[in-house]
Amino acid sequence: MGRAREIRLAYLLLAPALLLLLTVLAYPVGWEVWTSFTDLSPLKDGSTSYVGLANYGRLLAGAEFWQAAFVTIAYALVTSVAKLALGLGFALLLARPFRGRVLVFLAVFLPWAYPAGVSVIGWYWTLNPPTTTAYAPFMGQLKFVVDGAFGTGAWAFVSVVLFNIWRGSSFIGVLLLAGINAVPPELFECAVLESKSAWRRFWLVTVPLLKPFLALAVFLSLTSAFADLANVWMLTAGRIVFPIIGTHAYFLAIKAGQFGPASALSLTLVPVLLGLLLVLFRYFDPPRQETA
Amino acid sequence: MAQVMMKDLNKKYDEVHAVKDVNLHIRDKEFIVLVGPSGCGKSTTLRMVAGLEEITAGEITIGDRIVNDLPPKDRDIAMVFQNYALYPHMTVYDNMAFGLKMRKFPKAEIAKRVGDAAEILGIQELLKRKPRQLSGGQRQRVAVGRAIVRHPQVFLFDEPLSNLDAKLRVQMRVELKRLHERLETTAIYVTHDQVEAMTLGDRVVVMKDGWIQQVGEPLELYGKPANRFVAGFIGSPSMNFVDVTVADAGGALWVETAGLRVKVPPASAGRLGAYKSQHVTLGIRPEDLRVASGSDSADYSFDTVVEVVEPLGSEILLDLKAGPNVIVARVDPTVRVKHSDKMRLALHSERVHFFDNKTELAI
Repeated sequence: MGRAREIRLAYLLLAPALLLLLTVLAYPVGWEVWTSFTDLSPLKDGSTSYVGLANYGRLLAGAEFWQAAFVTIAYALVTSVAKLALGLGFALLLARPFRGRVLVFLAVFLPWAYPAGVSVIGWYWTLNPPTTTAYAPFMGQLKFVVDGAFGTGAWAFVSVVLFNIWRGSSFIGVLLLAGINAVPPELFECAVLESKSAWRRFWLVTVPLLKPFLALAVFLSLTSAFADLANVWMLTAGRIVFPIIGTHAYFLAIKAGQFGPASALSLTLVPVLLGLLLVLFRYFDPPRQETA
Repeated sequence: MAQVMMKDLNKKYDEVHAVKDVNLHIRDKEFIVLVGPSGCGKSTTLRMVAGLEEITAGEITIGDRIVNDLPPKDRDIAMVFQNYALYPHMTVYDNMAFGLKMRKFPKAEIAKRVGDAAEILGIQELLKRKPRQLSGGQRQRVAVGRAIVRHPQVFLFDEPLSNLDAKLRVQMRVELKRLHERLETTAIYVTHDQVEAMTLGDRVVVMKDGWIQQVGEPLELYGKPANRFVAGFIGSPSMNFVDVTVADAGGALWVETAGLRVKVPPASAGRLGAYKSQHVTLGIRPEDLRVASGSDSADYSFDTVVEVVEPLGSEILLDLKAGPNVIVARVDPTVRVKHSDKMRLALHSERVHFFDNKTELAI
């Protein structure tokens, strides 16, 4: 076969994959980028006009964006740190055999395995008990105290954070458990022979060996928090006092019909996510070095 | 340097009794090999010495300390694992220094010990590499190096050569033996390979189903196996076993079965007297058989038919049939035979073994 024909064949074989990427990735992103430069709106009569960077300009000049950005970052950081700590704890707990391990595994994994909608109801009832017990007034009191200290809506936001941690640590726990199970047990045993301190073994052996899984966990946790909408929306039913970028963009587009600014707002997340990906990708998919 | 004592050692898991009443005195500077098929309890025994498994009952003493309740770190042992257990994120140097670093040795001392060990093992030029850049043999050397630098009282080896290819295994076996002669540290070595056990061990412990079957020097195990299991396990190809009846004919004892009848050698006749007209197991090693010549006594030879010929170069292995009994013989490479040839075999009369059919113990 001639080289030119081989190359043609290669492109032909790649075509379905390229087509798929173009349809599900390039086209919607391209459309969103274009929209962010226009005043496209279903509420507006007449033609759509190109407005250049005006949407971005207004965004960066407004306090709403900065507030949403700040809340988003805080949300992502707080939930990620907590999810990672709890998830790692679950994984380490479940990595060793003990009586009732299966039950603990179920308890850890269920929050994630349940449909989000069901988990939300469970969580909502935890915070707002549907039956009258001594517990119900206590939760009401707690909401009152938190809202009193940090402003109305603070308790709702705290509950979103806790919900995210609850579900997310479940997922990260299972991910890291798979990571621990992928490490030959001798590597941990070898450390046991050399040190009594579980703390030293954890930092010198467990953490480095789990690095690829930890990096993946950090990446998934941060990106899901940065781009979150569902958790906040479901739990607050849209009565959002502290919007994050995802919920604010949704509000602008769907409730206010401002497609242009909403697109611009969503796109501000792209550089952040790309940056995260570039930094963390090296850790969870390290370049293969030559073997002997 | 230290001796290791195991006293009535037992290990029970929920449903499995993995190690049963093991009593073993390993002398100072001795190289002892635990050998047996998988599931015989050899690795569990080793791991109890290391402290990686809890002791269900009994006592282990290293040096003059009972170590049952000592954490692994304080038992002054160093272990080499089958899959090397090198840390992929550390260089060879850091891997070898790992135990010393964990024990907070001064940097200069660590450098000196790692340097010395690397020299002994010939891996000086690998110190900056990562484990994935090494071959299997090099990795195993690093794993051994990591144990050496600790200057432990006892080395524990858990099937360290099993992941290497056959040629490298033979080479590393020799190196380990040389290393032991140089370091003179007590070593407990676990393997399922009887050749490794025989070549490395000062003494060999054969285990099966959690029990010790026999403890002895390699040639003692080979020459005087305590029971049928040890007889079949040690030596390759395995000993031939034939079910025979003890018969008294003309004032002498014979053992016989269809297709095979040989006289009981005088040395065994006394002990076999008690088995008259009972079944026993006759054991003959393939290397104790030869093609019969005119000078061989008819008392110690029998007729066979050749079934399979395996020419190995230095020797020929023959699968033969004596009546219904399958016999393997290891004969001189100059013997020229082919399938279904008739052949008379003679046996080395001082080297036949007899086993009680019920207890399987040597008679």
